[in-house]
Amino acid sequence: MALSRLFEPGAFALFKPRADQPSIKLPLLLTSPTLLVVFVIFGIPLVYALALSMHRINMLTQQWIFVGFDNYIDILPDPEFIAALGRTAYFAFVTVAGGLLLGMGMALILNMAFPARNFLRSVVLVPWAMAPVAVGVLWGWMFNGEYGTFNAILFDLGLIEKPIHWLGDGTVAFNLVALVHIWNQAPLATLLILAGLQSMPENLHRAARMDGAGPLQRFFKITLPWLKPMLLLTMILTTINSIMAFDLFWVMTSGGPGSATTVFAWMGYAYAYHFFRMGEGAAILFVLTILCLILAWVYLKLLFPSQAKARAAIGGEAEESLGRTLVQMVAGAGDHIATRLEKLPVRPRRSLVPAAARRPLAHAALAIVAILIFCWSLGPFVWLLIMSLSPSASLVRTPPTIVPDALTIENYRFVLFPGGVEDGQSSIQATRVPFSIFNSLIVATGVTLINLALGTLAGYAYARHGKSRIMSGTLWGLMMTRMTPSLALILPFFILFRALGLIDTLWALIIAYCSLILPLSTWMMKSYFEGLPPNLERAALVDGCTRLKAIWKIILPVARPGIVATGIFCFLVSWNEFIFALILTGSPKAQTIPVIIAGFLVQLRFYDYGPMFAAAVLAVVPPVFVAFAFQGYLVRGMLTGSLKG
Amino acid sequence: MASVTLQNLTKRFAEVVAVDSLSLSIEDGEFLTLLGPSGCGKSTALNCIAGLELISGGTILFDDADVSRLEPHERNVAMVFQDYALYPHMTARQNMSFGLKQQKIETAKIRRQVEVAADMLDLGDLLERRPAELSGGQRQRVAVGRAVVRNPSVLLMDEPLSNLDAALRVHTRTEIKRLQRELKATTIFVTHDQEEAMVLSDRVAVMRLGELQQIGPPMEVYRDPRNLFVASFIGSPAMNFLEVDVTRGDGRIQCRVGEQTLALPPDLVGGEIPQKAVMGVRPTDLLVEAERELSLRGEVFLVEPVGPVTYVDCDVSGMAVTAVCDPDNAPAIGAQVGLGFSASRVYLFDPTSEQRL
Repeated sequence: MALSRLFEPGAFALFKPRADQPSIKLPLLLTSPTLLVVFVIFGIPLVYALALSMHRINMLTQQWIFVGFDNYIDILPDPEFIAALGRTAYFAFVTVAGGLLLGMGMALILNMAFPARNFLRSVVLVPWAMAPVAVGVLWGWMFNGEYGTFNAILFDLGLIEKPIHWLGDGTVAFNLVALVHIWNQAPLATLLILAGLQSMPENLHRAARMDGAGPLQRFFKITLPWLKPMLLLTMILTTINSIMAFDLFWVMTSGGPGSATTVFAWMGYAYAYHFFRMGEGAAILFVLTILCLILAWVYLKLLFPSQAKARAAIGGEAEESLGRTLVQMVAGAGDHIATRLEKLPVRPRRSLVPAAARRPLAHAALAIVAILIFCWSLGPFVWLLIMSLSPSASLVRTPPTIVPDALTIENYRFVLFPGGVEDGQSSIQATRVPFSIFNSLIVATGVTLINLALGTLAGYAYARHGKSRIMSGTLWGLMMTRMTPSLALILPFFILFRALGLIDTLWALIIAYCSLILPLSTWMMKSYFEGLPPNLERAALVDGCTRLKAIWKIILPVARPGIVATGIFCFLVSWNEFIFALILTGSPKAQTIPVIIAGFLVQLRFYDYGPMFAAAVLAVVPPVFVAFAFQGYLVRGMLTGSLKG
Repeated sequence: MASVTLQNLTKRFAEVVAVDSLSLSIEDGEFLTLLGPSGCGKSTALNCIAGLELISGGTILFDDADVSRLEPHERNVAMVFQDYALYPHMTARQNMSFGLKQQKIETAKIRRQVEVAADMLDLGDLLERRPAELSGGQRQRVAVGRAVVRNPSVLLMDEPLSNLDAALRVHTRTEIKRLQRELKATTIFVTHDQEEAMVLSDRVAVMRLGELQQIGPPMEVYRDPRNLFVASFIGSPAMNFLEVDVTRGDGRIQCRVGEQTLALPPDLVGGEIPQKAVMGVRPTDLLVEAERELSLRGEVFLVEPVGPVTYVDCDVSGMAVTAVCDPDNAPAIGAQVGLGFSASRVYLFDPTSEQRL
């Protein structure tokens, strides 16, 4: 039964909707691959993780002892656990609030009209396109306690005598990681809020100006209420990203010093993989999962309130008011109305700035803020480039200085030619970089293609047939899986893949990423298809196409912007993913670039700094390029609420 | 209320001149329509008067005060937008009160003012609803209410009827005219619908490519179009245009249409007449098989009954011409018919300058 027969006319006689009852078979057929992938590859490990959390496991004897909820009972009153919970809450609060404020500010600026606006919109996306591992490496170095950039600047300015151990102080380190997280994640908030601002009818602000509302009034009374749903979405997404934050802690602090930066996610990881207390680790991660799911539920409830508030009074309105007018015209009523409407005074706006100075001042302020945004977004990236072009020796000078004494491309020679470089000293890690980039490309491309194929079909089915109970139920389920911290699934993934012989293969990563990303790509495609008029494929059906042919020939070409945006997201997420790649691969044959970069940190010698930064640049160039090139698509694709991990 | 005077109003967007040196004055309490096809600059001109666009040149006077540099609300103007632009998160009452609140008017007075406006527009029981809970026509009334509640000196309307369905549009048109009479508000109305303009306005200003073509009372613009554009834009169905060869002879103006010749009275055109001209006759002035001073023969190729009259499309020497006939005596397709018309309803235009001769 060849699949191609589906495309023949008449093959869908089976699925033709009856007159009174639309058939559910075609949408189910279209969504089933996605549902299968997500629920099987996601559901089984989730159940497995629950089982793990109820056992005490001896790693040596491979013995499982069922202990019921003992792991949870042991953990919950543990002061370490409570402290980690508190740290997670603090981290989430600071990063969400910071990200929202920063994102709102940047979105407001980027929504204004000025030269090079599109360029700045692309620049703003750079921190977000960078892999968190690369971000951690970069900022970790900037805050390095001996040779770091900030120490170097302070030395150069003569402000300090001896280097400051930024990450040596627990409180400072924790807040610095939060700052870096904001730097990395604020563009997501910016993108979402910008999309919200762009969807706002232009005339709303004009009407408010006619009503005499000043800029501040308009922001609080018109813009903020309009953005409310988008802000809510942004808040929940960034909250979940903050709760799940892991890569930065891995690279920058490893939960230390002491336990000062041990957040929940790190604690679960450390229990399971450092202390090999699998059961407790699984229990901690499962608590995290439940927290995230509760948040997700709240978010879905808030975002999609029940349809009870039905729209009222749409029909019969014309007749009703026509009748009234006739009566009123005959009676000649309302002659005195004009006298009853009072003449109201006009209050000139009080402004501190004279009218003539307003425009130049506003232009100057806008220019300054735009430059600040530019430096904030691109500065660290440029600094990474410079460091990757500096000889390793000049990165570790004492006292540190930011003035490079030489620029060289030798770091790139180390990491690009695995055969080794004749002169110069480099570690084995550098020689693994080219192959890992190759691996990353294969994984990211494979994941993107699979997601586009399955996500498009499922997204179409949800967009056009989402009303039925089974469809809305499965969509709800899909979105809930998106809210599960992937960390909780890694252990079962590892055990299952080992049983299947998939460990240390690219297949393991492709399968895992697909199950993680498919809900996202389905959602994005659904949102995009919903914006397309259904008459489009009706016209094609009338012209004699089958449903699938109508999708292929008509819908897909029209939906290209949505497909491109979805593809970019899949590519970025799978290219940048770190923790799954770390656990599921063991050798350079399947390791991706984030793992290799993290590997540099494990045994770092001074001559490795240069190559490490070169590798980091190579790791961030493809996603940054993609984000840069397709920035316009991203803003449009965001409009209906998409997300990136 | 106030009179409005535009002196050489100009608005440029980068290289594009959207409004080109527009000068006109609107009397206190007058209803003026800016009419033209999309892109003719009518909405831009309206936005300039509102203060939503900074003008590139010229002056805007309300009564005799220069308001060109004032903020919109300082001009005491109000505007009804095509998409209504109601604040989606506010009820109808809050929408109407918003502007008054910005002016720091006391609550009791706001309440009174809103009630009066709501009463005028029959919005009484809709005041506590949000825009999403209102029908298109109701939203439109709330938008008008928000504009009039301040009792503005000048009321601006940017195609307020174009989002309504046909029946409601005709009805609301009447409502707006009544409202404007009651308020005696100086009103500037923008539309591309010539019928709307004719029905509503005291005077119509026809615009094209940012330039004013003609301004005058509706019937004057209709009966006495100054150029080819105005003649073609006003009136439905559109005026017939025929290419004619013109000579003066026998004390008359001889127009050759194909192989037919029309003898027009010599006083129809005062000055020089080019050899080639464009002759315009409105379909409603061309009567099938009627005895008039002038007549053209043509072959019927389409018959379109619309009720009160029937339009007959004829081929006159290779040119399509629309005429009217009595619905009960419509000719058959293919029939040769005579089209009678009077010389006073004939317009001649210069084909190069497009000006009326």
